[in-house]
Amino acid sequence: MPDPRGRRISRLSGVSQGILSRVLTGSLDWHTIAASISYLIRGGEGVRLRTRPLLPGVVAVALLAMCSTACTLKNSGEPTGGRAPASARAGGGSAVLADGSATKVALVPGGAHPYFQPWKTAGAKAKKTYRLGDVRFDETAEWDQQKQNNLLSTLAARGYNAFGVFGVSPTDVNTTFADLKSQGLAVASLGSCPAGKKNEADFCLSTDVELAAYKAAKAAIDAMGGKGRLVHLTSNNVDANTQLRIKGVARAVEESGGKVRLLQTVTDIDKDLQTAQKAVSDLLTAKGNQIQGIVSTAYNPAVAAADAVRSSGSRAKVVAIDDDAKILSSISQGTVTATVVQNPVGQAEVGAWALALLQTEQCAMRDPGQSIDSGSFVVTKQNLTTYDRARKAKTAQLKKRFADDVLACG
Amino acid sequence: MTAPVAPPGGDTRSDRPTPARPAHRLPFRADQRLGLLVLVVGLGALFGVVRPTFLDARLVLFPLFRDVSTLTVVALAQMVVLSVGHMNLAVGRMAAFGALFAGLGYDRLGLPLPLGLLLCLCAGAAIGALTGWIITRTGVSSFVVTLAMDFALLGLVSLLYSALTENAAFTTKPSGLAELRSYSLADICVGPVCGSPVIPQLAQFTVLALLGLGFLYGATRIGRELLLTGANPAAAELSGIPTGRRVVLAHTLSGLLAALAGFMAAVGTGTFRASIGDDFMLPSFLGSVLGGTLLTGGVVSVVGALLGTALVGVIRKGLELLGVGLESLNIYLGCVLLLALSADRVRTVVSHRKVVRST
Repeated sequence: MPDPRGRRISRLSGVSQGILSRVLTGSLDWHTIAASISYLIRGGEGVRLRTRPLLPGVVAVALLAMCSTACTLKNSGEPTGGRAPASARAGGGSAVLADGSATKVALVPGGAHPYFQPWKTAGAKAKKTYRLGDVRFDETAEWDQQKQNNLLSTLAARGYNAFGVFGVSPTDVNTTFADLKSQGLAVASLGSCPAGKKNEADFCLSTDVELAAYKAAKAAIDAMGGKGRLVHLTSNNVDANTQLRIKGVARAVEESGGKVRLLQTVTDIDKDLQTAQKAVSDLLTAKGNQIQGIVSTAYNPAVAAADAVRSSGSRAKVVAIDDDAKILSSISQGTVTATVVQNPVGQAEVGAWALALLQTEQCAMRDPGQSIDSGSFVVTKQNLTTYDRARKAKTAQLKKRFADDVLACG
Repeated sequence: MTAPVAPPGGDTRSDRPTPARPAHRLPFRADQRLGLLVLVVGLGALFGVVRPTFLDARLVLFPLFRDVSTLTVVALAQMVVLSVGHMNLAVGRMAAFGALFAGLGYDRLGLPLPLGLLLCLCAGAAIGALTGWIITRTGVSSFVVTLAMDFALLGLVSLLYSALTENAAFTTKPSGLAELRSYSLADICVGPVCGSPVIPQLAQFTVLALLGLGFLYGATRIGRELLLTGANPAAAELSGIPTGRRVVLAHTLSGLLAALAGFMAAVGTGTFRASIGDDFMLPSFLGSVLGGTLLTGGVVSVVGALLGTALVGVIRKGLELLGVGLESLNIYLGCVLLLALSADRVRTVVSHRKVVRST
């Protein structure tokens, strides 16, 4: 190939002109090309061709061997999953757990979040109180439904037979629950209910998020004197629960009859505290003087709003969520007007107990898939010291409700 | 099925008309993918001995294989663009974008399962092609363009889900979806003999993708041209390879595979939602690079993507079974990966030295 262009190509690509001509005519086999490429990448260092069909062959044989050794015969090893639904027996039985030593409860949140920390201690307490086989708190789902599904099946393989789950994706979690139920396990949806009307779990014990958001917005509107502009800070927009929170706040705003205007709903800022802090400080810088009230229905924005209002000296009334120490101290100082606290302790404690009753088949659900509100409380400066008592009373009341109305015990 | 390039050995004979049998061939055991296969099987056996429940077909192996199937397709989606020396940071959002169209097809148009999948693949391929076209037309690096695409799709997908659905997810399930999710080869029988309950039927898509890409890179001219484009774009261009079109092709294939992975992830969890693919980017690089694909382009390993993904999956599952908590899970995962790959490197170096010594 006397063509100078060919020589240039050959020099650039680091292969001989002979190879180049074969590449161009398509007459070159692929592993010579691969060698040439490697030659290029390694700066001209020599490379060696190798036996190509061997490895895919080995992989194929390994897969085939695995498949063939694991082949099953029809009807030979059908798993015996699927507990027959226990018939709802008439009440009158005892809801006192007879023997929970064979019940191993796993409390699985969607991922690490301060909200779930009380589950850990409440679960440990329930294990002691009801003498359960084990109560495990596992937060390794990392906010991914697929990872959570894998984690749940792994826990089931490890012998856990009762599950209290906060589903990552409310629209998907019913599939997860149905899977667990088909393996004869007791399942509760704790902290959040599946989206839609159907619940495949035995029961759902969670905060009524729409109601809690409504209460929070109402408290904010009251603090604003019933008029002005309100901002709503919340979590992931593409989450069914966030949509409910937005509805709850919108309902409270509507009820003001036009006196209160929802200035903005800021979503997707509950990822971590830094994200929330940045979003809140941006908001206050841009529209600080227009805002009379801030209602936060997510944890991180609530903490961020409490901080930002204090440091910026804004006169906006803040209603937060949950009882982080920072929020509580802000309430006592007056920079945060109120907070709506939920009842995670009750969810874990009553959830673990009810799951044990269901798992031991001592009780059955009267109405499978029923949703029960675990309670939400507006905390202001006035009831700052006493709200925990109300929450404990609600937990006791929940337990009574389960024994009387929700469970049917033989 | 792969485009294997052995680790550096003796001198190349590539300038001869027919490559003669090299004098000092690297032994078969020096192949990186063989090392990965040994690691995957070895770690699987180790976990199986320490925790016999690791070998539980229904609760452990089936979900593990289903996960590996999906993430392998994600790794392949990344591998295809890596082959031309590019990267696709929008791989997760392209998955979400594809899944959005599948969900839309099932929910609004009432499409049957295969047609929805087709729509999903077309959407993925289209967005991939658009990305590739922008890269070739503007000459901006793939890193920047796909990053921009990631942001654009993040907004667009969320917006469309919020506008079209009540709960930010399409919950309509076409017939066959639940079966595709939970059936394994045990549900396919020839006479009285059925397949393994461990291999999910969802893996058929992964096998198809593996075979397709294996054929593309191993036996076709276009595959060779993709690799040459990645290895040295200038040389490829001067050799008469339409590098622009090859780049568009690579991104189109990447979008298509990402959409397939999005579909598989949606089938795996139950609904078509915006958060699909959120966690795809890291596994996409992990699987392909562990498997031997070069970040600089020009070298791919299709089987390696499967093995790399399987290695991470097995380690994670094993650690979960050992009851490792969140604080330590990722530390252990990192340590085990580092150890596994160091062992692999040591093995390669030892094999290489043996060859050198024998010369």
